[in-house]
Amino acid sequence: MLREVKEKLFLFGIAVMTALTVLPLFHIIYSVATRGLPVLLRGGIGFLTGTLAPPGDGLGGIGPAILGTLILTALASLIGLPVAVMTGVYAAEYPESLIGRLTRTLLTIMMEFPTILVGLFVMQILVIPMGSYSAIAGALALALVMMPYVAVYTEEAFRNVPFTYREAAFALGLSRFKVVFRVLAGMARKGIVTGMLIGMAKVAGETAPLLFTAGGSNRIYFAGIDKPVGAIPLLIYYLVQQPYENYHEIAWGASLVLLLVFLAIFLPLRLSLKEVKL
Amino acid sequence: MTAIETVNLTIYYGQKCVVKNVNLKIPENIVFAIMGPSGCGKSTLLRSFNRLLELNPNARVEGDVRLYGKSVYEMNPIEVRRRIGMVFQQPNPFPHMSVFDNVALGLKLNGLVKSKKELREIVEWALKKAALWDEVKDRLRDPASALSGGQQQRLCIARALAMKPEVLLMDEPTANLDPVATEKIEDLIYELKEDYTIVVVTHSPSQAARVSDYVAFLYLGELVEVGKTEKVFEKPENELTERYLTGRTG
Repeated sequence: MLREVKEKLFLFGIAVMTALTVLPLFHIIYSVATRGLPVLLRGGIGFLTGTLAPPGDGLGGIGPAILGTLILTALASLIGLPVAVMTGVYAAEYPESLIGRLTRTLLTIMMEFPTILVGLFVMQILVIPMGSYSAIAGALALALVMMPYVAVYTEEAFRNVPFTYREAAFALGLSRFKVVFRVLAGMARKGIVTGMLIGMAKVAGETAPLLFTAGGSNRIYFAGIDKPVGAIPLLIYYLVQQPYENYHEIAWGASLVLLLVFLAIFLPLRLSLKEVKL
Repeated sequence: MTAIETVNLTIYYGQKCVVKNVNLKIPENIVFAIMGPSGCGKSTLLRSFNRLLELNPNARVEGDVRLYGKSVYEMNPIEVRRRIGMVFQQPNPFPHMSVFDNVALGLKLNGLVKSKKELREIVEWALKKAALWDEVKDRLRDPASALSGGQQQRLCIARALAMKPEVLLMDEPTANLDPVATEKIEDLIYELKEDYTIVVVTHSPSQAARVSDYVAFLYLGELVEVGKTEKVFEKPENELTERYLTGRTG
Protein backbone atom coordinates (compact mmCIF):
# COMPACT_ATOMS: atom_id res chain seq x y z
CA MET A 1 0.00 0.00 0.00
CA LEU A 2 2.66 2.46 1.09
CA ARG A 3 4.82 1.39 -1.83
CA GLU A 4 2.05 2.19 -4.27
CA VAL A 5 1.47 5.61 -2.73
CA LYS A 6 5.19 6.35 -2.99
CA GLU A 7 5.17 5.25 -6.61
CA LYS A 8 2.22 7.54 -7.39
CA LEU A 9 3.83 10.47 -5.56
CA PHE A 10 7.04 9.95 -7.46
CA LEU A 11 5.25 9.90 -10.81
CA PHE A 12 3.25 12.96 -9.84
CA GLY A 13 6.44 14.79 -8.86
CA ILE A 14 8.07 14.03 -12.19
CA ALA A 15 4.96 15.11 -14.08
CA VAL A 16 4.92 18.45 -12.26
CA MET A 17 8.62 19.06 -12.94
CA THR A 18 8.18 18.21 -16.62
CA ALA A 19 5.21 20.55 -16.87
CA LEU A 20 7.26 23.33 -15.28
CA THR A 21 9.98 22.78 -17.85
CA VAL A 22 7.80 22.88 -20.93
CA LEU A 23 5.29 25.42 -19.65
CA PRO A 24 7.43 28.49 -20.49
CA LEU A 25 7.91 27.19 -24.03
CA PHE A 26 4.18 26.84 -24.57
CA HIS A 27 3.56 30.17 -22.92
CA ILE A 28 6.00 31.87 -25.29
CA ILE A 29 4.32 30.30 -28.30
CA TYR A 30 0.89 31.11 -26.89
CA SER A 31 1.57 34.77 -26.13
CA VAL A 32 3.42 35.37 -29.40
CA ALA A 33 0.57 33.75 -31.33
CA THR A 34 -2.29 35.52 -29.53
CA ARG A 35 -0.70 38.96 -29.76
CA GLY A 36 1.02 38.54 -33.11
CA LEU A 37 -1.78 36.90 -35.04
CA PRO A 38 -4.23 39.88 -34.91
CA VAL A 39 -1.42 42.15 -36.13
CA LEU A 40 -0.59 39.79 -38.95
CA LEU A 41 -4.25 39.45 -39.97
CA ARG A 42 -4.82 43.19 -39.85
CA GLY A 43 -1.65 43.98 -41.81
CA GLY A 44 -2.22 41.22 -44.35
CA ILE A 45 0.32 40.60 -47.11
CA GLY A 46 1.44 44.19 -46.79
CA PHE A 47 2.82 43.42 -43.34
CA LEU A 48 5.22 40.90 -44.87
CA THR A 49 6.25 43.02 -47.85
CA GLY A 50 5.89 46.69 -46.88
CA THR A 51 8.29 49.00 -45.10
CA LEU A 52 8.08 50.32 -41.55
CA ALA A 53 5.23 52.70 -40.71
CA PRO A 54 5.94 56.13 -39.24
CA PRO A 55 5.66 56.40 -35.43
CA GLY A 56 2.04 56.34 -34.26
CA ASP A 57 0.62 55.72 -37.71
CA GLY A 58 -0.58 52.26 -38.66
CA LEU A 59 1.29 49.00 -39.13
CA GLY A 60 3.18 49.29 -42.41
CA GLY A 61 5.32 46.23 -42.98
CA ILE A 62 8.52 44.45 -42.00
CA GLY A 63 9.58 43.43 -45.51
CA PRO A 64 13.18 44.66 -45.28
CA ALA A 65 13.70 42.76 -42.02
CA ILE A 66 12.27 39.49 -43.39
CA LEU A 67 14.30 39.77 -46.59
CA GLY A 68 17.35 40.70 -44.52
CA THR A 69 16.99 37.66 -42.28
CA LEU A 70 16.68 35.41 -45.33
CA ILE A 71 19.71 36.99 -46.99
CA LEU A 72 21.79 36.89 -43.82
CA THR A 73 20.90 33.26 -43.14
CA ALA A 74 21.61 32.26 -46.73
CA LEU A 75 24.92 34.12 -46.87
CA ALA A 76 25.96 32.79 -43.47
CA SER A 77 25.15 29.26 -44.65
CA LEU A 78 27.13 29.79 -47.82
CA ILE A 79 30.17 30.84 -45.81
CA GLY A 80 29.71 28.62 -42.78
CA LEU A 81 28.33 25.26 -43.96
CA PRO A 82 31.16 24.11 -46.25
CA VAL A 83 33.86 25.08 -43.76
CA ALA A 84 31.94 23.55 -40.86
CA VAL A 85 31.24 20.27 -42.63
CA MET A 86 34.89 19.92 -43.62
CA THR A 87 35.93 20.69 -40.04
CA GLY A 88 33.55 18.03 -38.77
CA VAL A 89 34.87 15.51 -41.27
CA TYR A 90 38.44 16.30 -40.27
CA ALA A 91 37.71 15.88 -36.57
CA ALA A 92 35.95 12.57 -37.27
CA GLU A 93 38.62 11.21 -39.62
CA TYR A 94 41.68 12.18 -37.60
CA PRO A 95 40.46 12.03 -33.99
CA GLU A 96 43.89 11.05 -32.68
CA SER A 97 45.82 13.84 -34.35
CA LEU A 98 46.75 16.97 -32.42
CA ILE A 99 44.71 19.24 -34.68
CA GLY A 100 41.80 16.80 -34.54
CA ARG A 101 41.71 16.76 -30.76
CA LEU A 102 42.24 20.50 -30.59
CA THR A 103 39.41 21.09 -33.06
CA ARG A 104 36.96 19.04 -31.03
CA THR A 105 37.77 20.89 -27.82
CA LEU A 106 37.61 24.27 -29.52
CA LEU A 107 34.31 23.49 -31.20
CA THR A 108 32.58 22.71 -27.92
CA ILE A 109 33.93 25.94 -26.45
CA MET A 110 32.83 27.91 -29.52
CA MET A 111 29.32 26.49 -29.20
CA GLU A 112 28.89 28.17 -25.83
CA PHE A 113 30.85 31.29 -26.70
CA PRO A 114 29.03 34.59 -25.93
CA THR A 115 27.72 35.58 -29.33
CA ILE A 116 28.03 39.29 -28.68
CA LEU A 117 31.81 38.82 -28.62
CA VAL A 118 31.58 37.28 -32.10
CA GLY A 119 29.81 40.47 -33.18
CA LEU A 120 32.55 42.60 -31.64
CA PHE A 121 35.22 40.56 -33.37
CA VAL A 122 33.63 40.93 -36.80
CA MET A 123 33.14 44.64 -36.16
CA GLN A 124 36.90 44.89 -35.59
CA ILE A 125 37.91 43.00 -38.70
CA LEU A 126 35.23 44.06 -41.18
CA VAL A 127 32.97 46.91 -40.11
CA ILE A 128 35.71 49.31 -39.02
CA PRO A 129 37.96 48.76 -42.07
CA MET A 130 34.98 49.01 -44.42
CA GLY A 131 33.64 52.05 -42.61
CA SER A 132 30.05 50.79 -42.61
CA TYR A 133 27.72 48.14 -41.29
CA SER A 134 27.08 45.56 -43.98
CA ALA A 135 25.22 42.39 -44.87
CA ILE A 136 28.51 40.55 -45.36
CA ALA A 137 29.70 41.50 -41.86
CA GLY A 138 26.41 40.29 -40.38
CA ALA A 139 26.62 37.08 -42.38
CA LEU A 140 30.19 36.42 -41.27
CA ALA A 141 29.23 36.90 -37.63
CA LEU A 142 26.30 34.50 -38.06
CA ALA A 143 28.53 32.03 -39.89
CA LEU A 144 30.90 32.01 -36.92
CA VAL A 145 27.98 31.32 -34.58
CA MET A 146 26.64 28.59 -36.85
CA MET A 147 29.83 26.70 -37.61
CA PRO A 148 30.49 24.91 -34.31
CA TYR A 149 26.96 23.43 -34.25
CA VAL A 150 27.24 22.15 -37.78
CA ALA A 151 30.78 20.86 -37.27
CA VAL A 152 29.94 19.03 -34.03
CA TYR A 153 26.83 17.43 -35.53
CA THR A 154 28.76 16.41 -38.64
CA GLU A 155 31.52 14.87 -36.58
CA GLU A 156 29.04 12.97 -34.41
CA ALA A 157 27.18 11.77 -37.49
CA PHE A 158 30.32 10.33 -39.06
CA ARG A 159 31.54 8.77 -35.84
CA ASN A 160 28.20 7.03 -35.40
CA VAL A 161 28.57 5.13 -38.66
CA PRO A 162 29.65 1.63 -37.58
CA PHE A 163 33.30 0.84 -38.26
CA THR A 164 32.43 -2.18 -40.40
CA TYR A 165 31.08 0.05 -43.21
CA ARG A 166 34.26 2.07 -43.18
CA GLU A 167 36.24 -1.15 -43.53
CA ALA A 168 33.95 -2.36 -46.32
CA ALA A 169 34.39 0.86 -48.25
CA PHE A 170 38.16 0.89 -47.90
CA ALA A 171 38.30 -2.80 -48.84
CA LEU A 172 36.85 -1.88 -52.23
CA GLY A 173 39.99 0.07 -53.01
CA LEU A 174 38.46 3.51 -52.59
CA SER A 175 40.43 6.58 -51.63
CA ARG A 176 39.71 8.18 -48.28
CA PHE A 177 37.95 11.07 -49.98
CA LYS A 178 35.56 8.72 -51.78
CA VAL A 179 35.03 6.58 -48.69
CA VAL A 180 34.01 9.65 -46.71
CA PHE A 181 31.99 11.61 -49.24
CA ARG A 182 30.55 8.94 -51.51
CA VAL A 183 29.83 6.18 -49.01
CA LEU A 184 29.83 7.24 -45.36
CA ALA A 185 28.22 10.64 -45.96
CA GLY A 186 25.13 8.85 -47.26
CA MET A 187 24.80 6.99 -43.98
CA ALA A 188 25.55 10.06 -41.88
CA ARG A 189 23.28 12.38 -43.84
CA LYS A 190 20.55 12.59 -41.21
CA GLY A 191 22.99 13.87 -38.62
CA ILE A 192 24.69 16.24 -41.04
CA VAL A 193 21.43 17.75 -42.29
CA THR A 194 20.13 18.01 -38.73
CA GLY A 195 23.25 19.94 -37.78
CA MET A 196 22.89 22.25 -40.77
CA LEU A 197 19.24 23.02 -40.03
CA ILE A 198 19.89 23.54 -36.33
CA GLY A 199 22.69 25.93 -37.22
CA MET A 200 20.47 27.82 -39.66
CA ALA A 201 17.51 27.97 -37.26
CA LYS A 202 19.85 29.18 -34.53
CA VAL A 203 21.31 32.05 -36.54
CA ALA A 204 17.95 33.06 -38.06
CA GLY A 205 16.93 34.07 -34.54
CA GLU A 206 20.22 35.57 -33.33
CA THR A 207 20.35 39.22 -32.28
CA ALA A 208 23.60 39.86 -30.47
CA PRO A 209 26.04 39.06 -33.31
CA LEU A 210 24.15 41.44 -35.59
CA LEU A 211 24.10 44.47 -33.27
CA PHE A 212 27.49 45.78 -34.38
CA THR A 213 27.63 44.19 -37.80
CA ALA A 214 24.43 44.17 -39.88
CA GLY A 215 23.35 47.64 -38.80
CA GLY A 216 19.64 47.18 -39.50
CA SER A 217 17.45 48.69 -42.17
CA ASN A 218 13.75 49.38 -41.87
CA ARG A 219 12.89 51.16 -45.08
CA ILE A 220 15.43 49.95 -47.65
CA TYR A 221 15.07 46.32 -48.72
CA PHE A 222 18.53 45.45 -49.93
CA ALA A 223 21.23 47.70 -51.33
CA GLY A 224 24.14 45.28 -51.74
CA ILE A 225 26.14 42.97 -49.51
CA ASP A 226 28.44 45.82 -48.50
CA LYS A 227 25.50 47.90 -47.24
CA PRO A 228 23.55 47.65 -43.98
CA VAL A 229 20.72 45.16 -43.95
CA GLY A 230 17.73 44.52 -41.71
CA ALA A 231 16.91 41.42 -39.67
CA ILE A 232 13.77 40.41 -37.80
CA PRO A 233 15.42 40.04 -34.36
CA LEU A 234 17.18 43.40 -34.78
CA LEU A 235 13.88 45.02 -35.73
CA ILE A 236 12.10 43.59 -32.68
CA TYR A 237 14.96 44.76 -30.46
CA TYR A 238 14.64 48.25 -31.94
CA LEU A 239 10.83 48.45 -31.90
CA VAL A 240 10.22 47.49 -28.29
CA GLN A 241 12.51 50.28 -27.14
CA GLN A 242 10.42 52.90 -28.91
CA PRO A 243 7.64 54.72 -27.05
CA TYR A 244 5.00 54.20 -29.73
CA GLU A 245 1.96 51.94 -29.37
CA ASN A 246 1.96 50.86 -33.02
CA TYR A 247 5.67 49.90 -32.89
CA HIS A 248 4.95 47.53 -30.03
CA GLU A 249 2.20 45.95 -32.09
CA ILE A 250 4.53 45.57 -35.06
CA ALA A 251 7.08 43.96 -32.73
CA TRP A 252 4.53 41.28 -31.76
CA GLY A 253 3.74 40.66 -35.41
CA ALA A 254 7.44 40.42 -36.23
CA SER A 255 7.90 37.96 -33.34
CA LEU A 256 5.27 35.69 -34.79
CA VAL A 257 6.95 35.86 -38.20
CA LEU A 258 10.28 34.98 -36.59
CA LEU A 259 8.66 32.04 -34.82
CA LEU A 260 7.20 30.87 -38.11
CA VAL A 261 10.56 31.17 -39.89
CA PHE A 262 12.09 29.14 -37.08
CA LEU A 263 9.40 26.47 -37.31
CA ALA A 264 9.65 26.43 -41.10
CA ILE A 265 13.28 25.40 -40.75
CA PHE A 266 12.64 22.93 -37.93
CA LEU A 267 9.47 21.12 -38.90
CA PRO A 268 10.66 19.59 -42.17
CA LEU A 269 13.66 18.37 -40.21
CA ARG A 270 11.53 16.49 -37.73
CA LEU A 271 9.01 15.23 -40.23
CA SER A 272 10.67 14.36 -43.50
CA LEU A 273 14.15 13.08 -42.76
CA LYS A 274 14.19 9.35 -43.02
CA GLU A 275 16.50 7.39 -40.80
CA VAL A 276 18.98 5.14 -42.59
CA LYS A 277 18.49 1.66 -41.23
CA LEU A 278 21.86 0.32 -40.15
CA MET B 1 52.18 -20.62 -57.92
CA THR B 2 52.10 -18.84 -54.58
CA ALA B 3 49.41 -16.15 -54.40
CA ILE B 4 50.18 -14.80 -50.96
CA GLU B 5 53.27 -15.27 -48.88
CA THR B 6 54.04 -13.87 -45.47
CA VAL B 7 57.63 -13.42 -44.36
CA ASN B 8 58.40 -13.15 -40.64
CA LEU B 9 55.11 -11.34 -40.23
CA THR B 10 54.72 -9.80 -36.78
CA ILE B 11 51.89 -7.47 -35.81
CA TYR B 12 51.56 -5.27 -32.74
CA TYR B 13 48.63 -3.33 -31.32
CA GLY B 14 50.49 -0.67 -29.38
CA GLN B 15 52.90 -2.68 -27.23
CA LYS B 16 50.96 -5.91 -27.48
CA CYS B 17 52.16 -8.48 -29.98
CA VAL B 18 49.15 -10.21 -31.55
CA VAL B 19 50.73 -12.06 -34.47
CA LYS B 20 54.18 -13.56 -33.95
CA ASN B 21 56.61 -14.26 -36.74
CA VAL B 22 54.20 -16.00 -39.10
CA ASN B 23 55.55 -17.56 -42.30
CA LEU B 24 52.85 -18.80 -44.66
CA LYS B 25 52.65 -19.71 -48.32
CA ILE B 26 49.17 -19.66 -49.82
CA PRO B 27 49.01 -21.37 -53.24
CA GLU B 28 46.69 -19.92 -55.85
CA ASN B 29 43.23 -21.22 -56.72
CA ILE B 30 42.65 -23.08 -53.49
CA VAL B 31 40.69 -22.46 -50.33
CA PHE B 32 43.06 -21.73 -47.51
CA ALA B 33 41.53 -21.76 -44.03
CA ILE B 34 43.03 -20.01 -41.05
CA MET B 35 41.51 -21.48 -37.91
CA GLY B 36 42.02 -20.92 -34.25
CA PRO B 37 40.19 -19.92 -31.09
CA SER B 38 38.77 -16.41 -30.65
CA GLY B 39 41.37 -13.74 -30.11
CA CYS B 40 44.25 -15.73 -31.62
CA GLY B 41 44.99 -13.05 -34.22
CA LYS B 42 43.25 -14.61 -37.25
CA SER B 43 41.34 -11.49 -38.27
CA THR B 44 44.37 -9.30 -37.65
CA LEU B 45 46.50 -11.56 -39.83
CA LEU B 46 43.88 -11.43 -42.59
CA ARG B 47 43.68 -7.63 -42.48
CA SER B 48 47.43 -7.34 -42.92
CA PHE B 49 47.10 -9.00 -46.35
CA ASN B 50 45.07 -6.15 -47.89
CA ARG B 51 46.54 -3.46 -45.62
CA LEU B 52 43.15 -2.84 -44.05
CA LEU B 53 44.94 -2.94 -40.72
CA GLU B 54 46.11 0.59 -41.45
CA LEU B 55 42.66 1.88 -40.52
CA ASN B 56 43.68 1.12 -36.95
CA PRO B 57 46.27 3.72 -35.98
CA ASN B 58 47.61 1.51 -33.18
CA ALA B 59 48.49 -1.41 -35.42
CA ARG B 60 52.10 -1.88 -36.48
CA VAL B 61 53.30 -4.46 -38.98
CA GLU B 62 56.80 -5.93 -39.21
CA GLY B 63 57.99 -8.40 -41.80
CA ASP B 64 56.36 -8.64 -45.17
CA VAL B 65 53.28 -9.80 -47.08
CA ARG B 66 53.82 -10.63 -50.76
CA LEU B 67 51.18 -10.82 -53.46
CA TYR B 68 52.56 -12.93 -56.32
CA GLY B 69 56.06 -12.18 -55.13
CA LYS B 70 55.64 -8.42 -54.76
CA SER B 71 55.49 -6.77 -51.35
CA VAL B 72 52.04 -5.26 -50.73
CA TYR B 73 53.69 -2.75 -48.42
CA GLU B 74 55.57 -1.32 -51.38
CA MET B 75 52.43 -1.09 -53.48
CA ASN B 76 49.72 1.56 -53.41
CA PRO B 77 47.21 0.36 -50.77
CA ILE B 78 44.35 1.19 -53.12
CA GLU B 79 45.74 -1.18 -55.76
CA VAL B 80 46.32 -3.87 -53.14
CA ARG B 81 42.69 -3.67 -52.03
CA ARG B 82 41.43 -3.84 -55.60
CA ARG B 83 43.39 -7.03 -56.19
CA ILE B 84 42.50 -8.55 -52.81
CA GLY B 85 38.77 -8.40 -52.09
CA MET B 86 37.29 -8.91 -48.67
CA VAL B 87 34.11 -10.20 -47.04
CA PHE B 88 33.44 -9.53 -43.38
CA GLN B 89 32.05 -11.33 -40.37
CA GLN B 90 29.00 -9.09 -40.11
CA PRO B 91 27.14 -8.90 -43.43
CA ASN B 92 27.75 -5.22 -44.18
CA PRO B 93 26.19 -4.12 -47.46
CA PHE B 94 25.79 -0.35 -47.47
CA PRO B 95 22.30 -0.04 -46.00
CA HIS B 96 21.36 3.21 -47.70
CA MET B 97 22.10 1.89 -51.19
CA SER B 98 20.12 -0.43 -53.43
CA VAL B 99 21.14 -4.00 -54.17
CA PHE B 100 22.40 -2.88 -57.57
CA ASP B 101 24.34 0.11 -56.26
CA ASN B 102 26.10 -1.98 -53.65
CA VAL B 103 27.64 -4.12 -56.36
CA ALA B 104 28.15 -1.22 -58.78
CA LEU B 105 29.75 1.15 -56.27
CA GLY B 106 33.35 -0.02 -56.49
CA LEU B 107 33.24 -0.17 -60.29
CA LYS B 108 31.70 3.28 -60.60
CA LEU B 109 33.85 5.09 -58.07
CA ASN B 110 37.05 3.50 -59.34
CA GLY B 111 36.16 4.36 -62.92
CA LEU B 112 36.46 0.76 -64.05
CA VAL B 113 33.54 0.73 -66.48
CA LYS B 114 33.07 2.72 -69.65
CA SER B 115 29.30 2.54 -70.10
CA LYS B 116 26.08 1.91 -68.21
CA LYS B 117 25.62 -1.24 -70.23
CA GLU B 118 28.98 -2.60 -69.18
CA LEU B 119 28.19 -1.72 -65.58
CA ARG B 120 24.90 -3.64 -65.73
CA GLU B 121 26.63 -6.62 -67.29
CA ILE B 122 29.32 -6.81 -64.63
CA VAL B 123 26.80 -6.36 -61.82
CA GLU B 124 24.70 -9.19 -63.22
CA TRP B 125 27.79 -11.35 -63.67
CA ALA B 126 28.91 -10.70 -60.07
CA LEU B 127 25.45 -11.44 -58.66
CA LYS B 128 25.30 -14.68 -60.64
CA LYS B 129 28.77 -15.61 -59.51
CA ALA B 130 27.66 -15.04 -55.91
CA ALA B 131 24.59 -17.27 -56.48
CA LEU B 132 22.26 -14.39 -55.70
CA TRP B 133 21.00 -13.28 -59.12
CA ASP B 134 17.87 -15.45 -59.21
CA GLU B 135 16.76 -14.18 -55.82
CA VAL B 136 17.32 -10.47 -56.45
CA LYS B 137 16.95 -9.93 -60.20
CA ASP B 138 13.50 -8.39 -59.64
CA ARG B 139 14.55 -6.41 -56.58
CA LEU B 140 17.69 -4.68 -57.78
CA ARG B 141 16.27 -1.30 -56.71
CA ASP B 142 15.32 -2.45 -53.21
CA PRO B 143 17.52 -1.26 -50.37
CA ALA B 144 20.17 -3.79 -49.46
CA SER B 145 18.93 -3.77 -45.88
CA ALA B 146 15.70 -5.44 -47.05
CA LEU B 147 17.53 -8.69 -47.87
CA SER B 148 17.92 -11.57 -45.42
CA GLY B 149 21.21 -12.04 -43.56
CA GLY B 150 22.41 -14.80 -45.87
CA GLN B 151 21.45 -12.82 -48.96
CA GLN B 152 23.23 -9.77 -47.57
CA GLN B 153 26.38 -11.81 -47.11
CA ARG B 154 26.21 -13.10 -50.70
CA LEU B 155 25.63 -9.51 -51.80
CA CYS B 156 28.88 -8.60 -50.04
CA ILE B 157 30.60 -11.41 -51.91
CA ALA B 158 29.18 -10.05 -55.19
CA ARG B 159 30.36 -6.58 -54.22
CA ALA B 160 33.88 -7.91 -53.75
CA LEU B 161 33.79 -10.06 -56.92
CA ALA B 162 32.66 -7.18 -59.10
CA MET B 163 36.12 -5.66 -58.67
CA LYS B 164 37.56 -8.82 -60.27
CA PRO B 165 40.04 -9.47 -57.50
CA GLU B 166 42.67 -12.19 -57.63
CA VAL B 167 42.33 -13.10 -53.96
CA LEU B 168 39.23 -13.13 -51.78
CA LEU B 169 39.63 -12.76 -48.02
CA MET B 170 36.73 -13.96 -45.88
CA ASP B 171 36.67 -13.13 -42.18
CA GLU B 172 34.36 -15.67 -40.52
CA PRO B 173 31.79 -15.17 -43.27
CA THR B 174 29.17 -17.42 -41.69
CA ALA B 175 29.59 -16.51 -38.03
CA ASN B 176 26.32 -14.55 -38.00
CA LEU B 177 24.28 -16.79 -40.29
CA ASP B 178 21.87 -19.65 -39.74
CA PRO B 179 22.80 -23.20 -40.86
CA VAL B 180 20.95 -23.02 -44.19
CA ALA B 181 22.57 -19.72 -45.18
CA THR B 182 25.91 -21.08 -43.95
CA GLU B 183 25.63 -24.07 -46.25
CA LYS B 184 24.95 -21.82 -49.23
CA ILE B 185 28.01 -19.71 -48.50
CA GLU B 186 30.16 -22.80 -48.06
CA ASP B 187 28.98 -24.22 -51.39
CA LEU B 188 29.77 -20.89 -52.95
CA ILE B 189 33.29 -20.85 -51.51
CA TYR B 190 33.85 -24.26 -53.04
CA GLU B 191 32.76 -23.05 -56.49
CA LEU B 192 34.69 -19.79 -56.37
CA LYS B 193 38.07 -21.41 -55.89
CA GLU B 194 38.19 -22.27 -59.59
CA ASP B 195 38.79 -18.61 -60.34
CA TYR B 196 40.06 -17.15 -57.11
CA THR B 197 42.41 -17.80 -54.27
CA ILE B 198 40.28 -17.80 -51.15
CA VAL B 199 41.55 -17.24 -47.64
CA VAL B 200 38.86 -17.93 -45.10
CA VAL B 201 39.17 -17.31 -41.39
CA THR B 202 37.07 -19.50 -39.13
CA HIS B 203 36.89 -20.45 -35.49
CA SER B 204 35.15 -23.68 -36.39
CA PRO B 205 37.41 -26.66 -37.20
CA SER B 206 34.48 -28.43 -38.85
CA GLN B 207 33.98 -25.57 -41.26
CA ALA B 208 37.68 -25.58 -42.07
CA ALA B 209 37.43 -29.32 -42.75
CA ARG B 210 34.39 -28.84 -45.00
CA VAL B 211 35.60 -26.02 -47.22
CA SER B 212 39.38 -25.87 -47.26
CA ASP B 213 42.21 -27.50 -49.19
CA TYR B 214 44.90 -26.19 -46.89
CA VAL B 215 44.58 -25.20 -43.29
CA ALA B 216 46.67 -23.22 -40.85
CA PHE B 217 46.18 -23.40 -37.11
CA LEU B 218 46.90 -20.20 -35.27
CA TYR B 219 47.13 -20.15 -31.49
CA LEU B 220 47.88 -17.05 -29.40
CA GLY B 221 49.32 -15.32 -32.44
CA GLU B 222 51.67 -18.12 -33.38
CA LEU B 223 51.41 -20.42 -36.35
CA VAL B 224 51.23 -23.88 -34.81
CA GLU B 225 50.66 -26.02 -37.85
CA VAL B 226 49.95 -25.69 -41.55
CA GLY B 227 49.35 -28.22 -44.29
CA LYS B 228 46.87 -29.99 -46.50
CA THR B 229 43.54 -30.11 -44.74
CA GLU B 230 43.13 -33.91 -44.80
CA LYS B 231 46.61 -34.37 -43.43
CA VAL B 232 46.24 -31.86 -40.63
CA PHE B 233 42.89 -33.30 -39.61
CA GLU B 234 43.90 -36.94 -39.87
CA LYS B 235 47.41 -36.75 -38.53
CA PRO B 236 48.14 -33.48 -36.75
CA GLU B 237 51.83 -33.17 -36.00
CA ASN B 238 51.43 -30.86 -33.07
CA GLU B 239 49.75 -31.88 -29.86
CA LEU B 240 48.11 -28.45 -29.56
CA THR B 241 46.46 -28.90 -32.96
CA GLU B 242 45.14 -32.26 -31.93
CA ARG B 243 43.73 -30.87 -28.71
CA TYR B 244 42.03 -28.06 -30.67
CA LEU B 245 40.57 -30.40 -33.27
CA THR B 246 39.22 -32.76 -30.65
CA GLY B 247 37.66 -29.86 -28.79
CA ARG B 248 39.92 -29.83 -25.76
CA THR B 249 41.40 -26.40 -26.51
CA GLY B 250 39.53 -23.45 -27.82
